[in-house]
Amino acid sequence: MANLVAAVLVSAAVLYVTFNGAGPLPALGPAFNPTTGAWTMAADAQVGNQTLHLNGLSQPATVTLESDGTAHIVAQTAHDLFLATGYVHARFRLFQMDLMRRQGEGRLSEIVGSAALDTDKFELQLGLLRTAELEWSQLPQGDSTRAAMEAYAQGVNDRITEAESVHHLDPMFALLGYQPKLWTPIDTLIVKGDMTQTLNFTDTPLLMAQLVKALGPDLVSQWFPVLPPNPQSPYDPGPYPAATSAPIETMGSVSDAEAQSASTLYQRLSALPAGLVATGGASNNWAVAGSKSASGGALLGGDPHLHLTLPAIWFQLTMDAPGYHASGVSIPGTPGVLIGHNQHIAWSLTDAQNQQTFFYEEQEDSAHPNQYFWQGAWHQYTTVSYDIPVLGGTTNHLTVKLSVHGPAITERGQTTSVWWAGNLPSQDFTAILHMGQASNFQEFRDALRDWHSPTHNFVYADDQGNIGLISAGYFPLLPKGSQPWLPMPGTGENDVTGTIPYDAIPQAYNPPDGIIWSANQRQVTADYPYYIGTASNFFDPGYRANEIHRVLSQCSVAGIFKQCPTKLSAADMMSLQTDTRDFLASEMVPILLKSLAGNAQPSDQTAINLLTNWNYKMDTNSAAASIWWTFWQTYISQSFDPWWKAKKVTFAPADQVRGASPAPADVNADLGQYLEALALKGLTVCQPPGCTGPAPICPPGANCIPDTQGAGPRMVGAFEATLATLSRQLGSDPATWAWGRIHTRQLDNLAQISGLNYGPRPDRGDANTPLAAGGFPSVDGPSWRMVVDWGAKTFVGIFPGGQSGNPASSWYTNHVDTWWSGLYAPMLTADQATAAGGSKVWTLEP
Amino acid sequence: MRLATIVVAGFAVSVVGVLVGAWWAPFTVGLVIGIVERKPRLAIPLGAGIGLAAWLLPLGSAQLHYGLGAAARSLAEIMGFGKQGAIPVVLTLMVGVLLGLCGAWLGSAGRKVIAPTT
Repeated sequence: MANLVAAVLVSAAVLYVTFNGAGPLPALGPAFNPTTGAWTMAADAQVGNQTLHLNGLSQPATVTLESDGTAHIVAQTAHDLFLATGYVHARFRLFQMDLMRRQGEGRLSEIVGSAALDTDKFELQLGLLRTAELEWSQLPQGDSTRAAMEAYAQGVNDRITEAESVHHLDPMFALLGYQPKLWTPIDTLIVKGDMTQTLNFTDTPLLMAQLVKALGPDLVSQWFPVLPPNPQSPYDPGPYPAATSAPIETMGSVSDAEAQSASTLYQRLSALPAGLVATGGASNNWAVAGSKSASGGALLGGDPHLHLTLPAIWFQLTMDAPGYHASGVSIPGTPGVLIGHNQHIAWSLTDAQNQQTFFYEEQEDSAHPNQYFWQGAWHQYTTVSYDIPVLGGTTNHLTVKLSVHGPAITERGQTTSVWWAGNLPSQDFTAILHMGQASNFQEFRDALRDWHSPTHNFVYADDQGNIGLISAGYFPLLPKGSQPWLPMPGTGENDVTGTIPYDAIPQAYNPPDGIIWSANQRQVTADYPYYIGTASNFFDPGYRANEIHRVLSQCSVAGIFKQCPTKLSAADMMSLQTDTRDFLASEMVPILLKSLAGNAQPSDQTAINLLTNWNYKMDTNSAAASIWWTFWQTYISQSFDPWWKAKKVTFAPADQVRGASPAPADVNADLGQYLEALALKGLTVCQPPGCTGPAPICPPGANCIPDTQGAGPRMVGAFEATLATLSRQLGSDPATWAWGRIHTRQLDNLAQISGLNYGPRPDRGDANTPLAAGGFPSVDGPSWRMVVDWGAKTFVGIFPGGQSGNPASSWYTNHVDTWWSGLYAPMLTADQATAAGGSKVWTLEP
Repeated sequence: MRLATIVVAGFAVSVVGVLVGAWWAPFTVGLVIGIVERKPRLAIPLGAGIGLAAWLLPLGSAQLHYGLGAAARSLAEIMGFGKQGAIPVVLTLMVGVLLGLCGAWLGSAGRKVIAPTT
């Protein structure tokens, strides 16, 4: 009997674990079954010639896959083209697509458990799902965009059905033990919402409220101004039309209650996983007119900088059907080419960074429960309820409260609503599809009228030599007197009243000097009559833009710089995309060296020589790069940390993040992307005599009279500390302090499986270089590099990753080394791909 | 002869079961073997062996057709075993073994209680 009991118990345990899993173990039976479980990734990694029958296809179509996985879809109707695109996306990236829709729909807990519950709650409160449903309901029957999304969903579902029938679902489905539900057009709109959120949902006003409370309005105005204190390179220098509203005011004060509420809400948002709140941008694009190019045709370069993941955010393809031809990159889960070219025009984008998120403090009263006071009357909050299934737990119920401004959250007795442009319906896919069909700037510009959020700088170059740039999207207008950089009263006086007219948003077409560029910098000069956001919300400090402008400008003036041709070529565009020259360093290092002259220790000479002979390039083997970067972080830390401590600025854990690491880490990100560096740089360069700016930074409590010595002594002190730090970290010989020893880059697995990351590997660049590589390790950067030369009719591009989301596939990371080396792959046409060796062809039939 | 029949039939049922997604088939087959075969010392290893073979055969077939190296390394990384691709292979085969073994053990133990003298 004892034997039977033991057999029953052991068998029950084995069956339980194999059917249900235990702890971190998945259900072992279905997960590891060799014929239907995760092992099928081996078979799925094999791609050959195939004939496939797809439901909903009206006529035969073909998919040609180059030897590197790049897809070329040729269909006879637009419907079939989008259907096939959906199928191809799902064939290679279904798990990624499912993760993205689950994130936006607040459904991650269902597959990963309570660890994702805060994320799910936040997403449902923010409202991507509500917005997607509204957008879908506003697309009329018969609308071409609606038809495209329906066809796309059909294609995705064709793949889901097929994969389930042949047991070739992505292995992560087997390991997590669930089946993907069918795709809907709303899922596509959710994926778009995810991108909008990660690019422009900001919490900066909450941060500013805490800063104002801690530092006071005067200091915040000085250190975190509306207009950047350093020279910038706006692409649209004006002249500008007269404004209808200009609410730029001086900084107001913040009460204790407001600061506490903002602090609590801010901490809650800060605890969310990276990517849910936008913390800064770093993308480049530019164009050169045909008159300035060696080929005689317009040139275009574009490299959007995003979190670099495996699989990548991008899927490269060409889409061909009567009336639609586009080649470039798409986002799995969405139809259409977002960045690329057609037969006549090319385009790319960077984030425009203008403020699209506003916080409103609702006025409430115990006599009016569940109501808020707005425009002279009490209004009931509307509510929406959600159930959040939790793996291994009970279903969570969530009720979301909505005011007229948007979702409302109560923290410490204060209810704050969020007005976010991403919650307004924006038919971005209509814009994408029309953009892909445009053949001149007028059509391109007209297509982008439908683009509202996120606001992007769309660069343009065409086959007639024309170039342009337009920052398409909503630029909200607020009444005069508003302080949008802080949480504002929700009683109605500070509500968004409209948007800057399309003709008045930043834009340029065929500028006289023949070059145009954007790198997340403020697009306009101080003369621009509208408020578009403070420097801390969160325009780039402009060093990348300045460097790009410097290179394009010097090269456009024949013969001045011998390393530049008299005219620019596609090769110059590629060099600029991998340019590692730090513009800030080029301005600050001469000042540092001047300060060190006669004041440094004799033992510092080797390091000083390295800086003296440095070309300001953050190359992997550059020791000067390590000295510069560590110096700059030390200098900032020594200047500002006493202030944070004295003023109890608790959200900037300077000691934690600065310690031995040279990374600016969270401090700069929290303060609005290198804002303190921006402020300090402006102050430091501005040395007496002749200084008309604010006083140099001095320790809190010190007598802040004009500093007749400038920043020199502080720089020398920071330099000595830098050498001590690097000696401890890297050894005593400065010549060996190669940048690559402290600066690495890593590509993160999208499902956060660290073993499937790529790297970290030593890498070049920093946060200020056109080849963006901020962070230690750097996990963000050029997610796609494209160069177009309309004169030579050459199109090249590369992204770090591969076409397949299957880690067992040879197309999982096959582009990484090429990208890392700064090389490109030709963007072939479908015909060229067919003619190329090693291609596979799928014949799609109804 | 009876033993050979049991082995062949059990193996066939297990393999077909695994191929069509009924990965638990070795447990059922093992259970039957445990009940039918009087000697536990024979039944239990047989059950385990059939479980192993039923999971090994399709895995081996996949190795021949596609190569399992990259998949094994990926699974090891996903499971937190670094690049030790052998570990998921061993774990996978262990599942087959355990299913067959437990089925046979349970069958044998039950048989002994229900019909102790036969």
